[in-house]
Amino acid sequence: MLTLYRPGDGPWHRLTAGRKSAVLGLIVLGVSVVPASWWGAALTAGVCLACYAVRGAGMGALVRQGIAIRWILAVTLAGQLLFLGAETGVANTVRICAAVVISGLLALTTPVSELLEALERGLSPLARLRVDPQRAALTIAVTLSTLPVLVRLEREVREAQNARGGGRSLRLFAIPFLVVSLKHADALGDALTARGVR
Amino acid sequence: MSYLDLDDVHVRLGDTQVLRNVTCSLDQRTVAVIGENGSGKSTFARLVGGLARAESGAIRILGLDPAQDASRLRRRIAVVFSNPDTQIVMPTVIEDVAFSLRSEKLPREEKAQRVTEALERFGLTAVADHASHDLSGGQKQLLALCGAFVRRPDLVIADEPTAYLDARNARRVADHLFEEGAHRLLLVTHDMTLAQRCDSAVLVHDGTIVAVGPPDATIAAYEERLRC
Repeated sequence: MLTLYRPGDGPWHRLTAGRKSAVLGLIVLGVSVVPASWWGAALTAGVCLACYAVRGAGMGALVRQGIAIRWILAVTLAGQLLFLGAETGVANTVRICAAVVISGLLALTTPVSELLEALERGLSPLARLRVDPQRAALTIAVTLSTLPVLVRLEREVREAQNARGGGRSLRLFAIPFLVVSLKHADALGDALTARGVR
Repeated sequence: MSYLDLDDVHVRLGDTQVLRNVTCSLDQRTVAVIGENGSGKSTFARLVGGLARAESGAIRILGLDPAQDASRLRRRIAVVFSNPDTQIVMPTVIEDVAFSLRSEKLPREEKAQRVTEALERFGLTAVADHASHDLSGGQKQLLALCGAFVRRPDLVIADEPTAYLDARNARRVADHLFEEGAHRLLLVTHDMTLAQRCDSAVLVHDGTIVAVGPPDATIAAYEERLRC
């Protein structure tokens, strides 16, 4: 997941997490309001390519991001083509694809520790509402970094199921997966406490 | 001077009395905690590490009362568990080590310096930017140790830290734990060769401490009980 981060010294890497979020947010907002037409789709794709055509990002990363969301794009495109026609369907799908992959530049070029600090700063006004920014930011970071563990647990439960001759029953999978996930959450809570997190 | 004093401590988890009448005073630098599965030795370690609460009894750890000085104690104690996967919090190795210093009030440069030194000490410099979860089991446990030692704790509690490791990695992890330094070590283990490396050993049986003393004598007492 957030191991998407690739070390580098390109323009995106040099921007602070806060500024980068603002710039990327504006670009995403920009491509979202481009008219749904052929030229609009071309413009959006051009902006997207330009964002990745800098040192530290690269077309390889763009392709990997696109592949990661291919099914979402396929479903979106199919629905849009069916109900809105070719021009609008393609333009909207390109817009969605651009918005997702441009946002992805944040995780691709920012270490999680920096994101965590930026989140803490961004959430600091909520302290007045008794929201602990440090805790909120940590929750988000831990949630994201736990995703690879859940993927591994899912694979282990599936393998254990197969090893014992289990079929593809959702119920037989869901219960042990839930149990091991909760056990992991419990252990992670202990680890956080042991590392000085309140 | 003893760094751990327990007097008639009881610990209950739900309806189960896990520890009872635990009384001991430890002053050796390295102490092994041995006993059968389910005897209560991990709960003993969790109690000392501030992860479990006593139902009754008096506890002093490093001269502090965990009920009143929990946060001060947490800064001085590090805990390492058997499963390294549950200890990884951040996505990259360097970030995970740095995470341990997050709540320390240190200048940024000093934090960075400490992280660099710790990575070097545990042989993780080459994988500093790698994804934590992609490391091998041995490297993950070294990362867990690195995250614990970067805080320069006075007391390290390790609960079966070599349980998931092959012989070579188990030896590497153990060597780091036993390294000469300012830290004291409380090591929960089923590995009697590790227990023998300690200055002292504690035998836990059925929720209570039944022997404390030199490792050889305590291990002999344990083996005697296993024969019964």
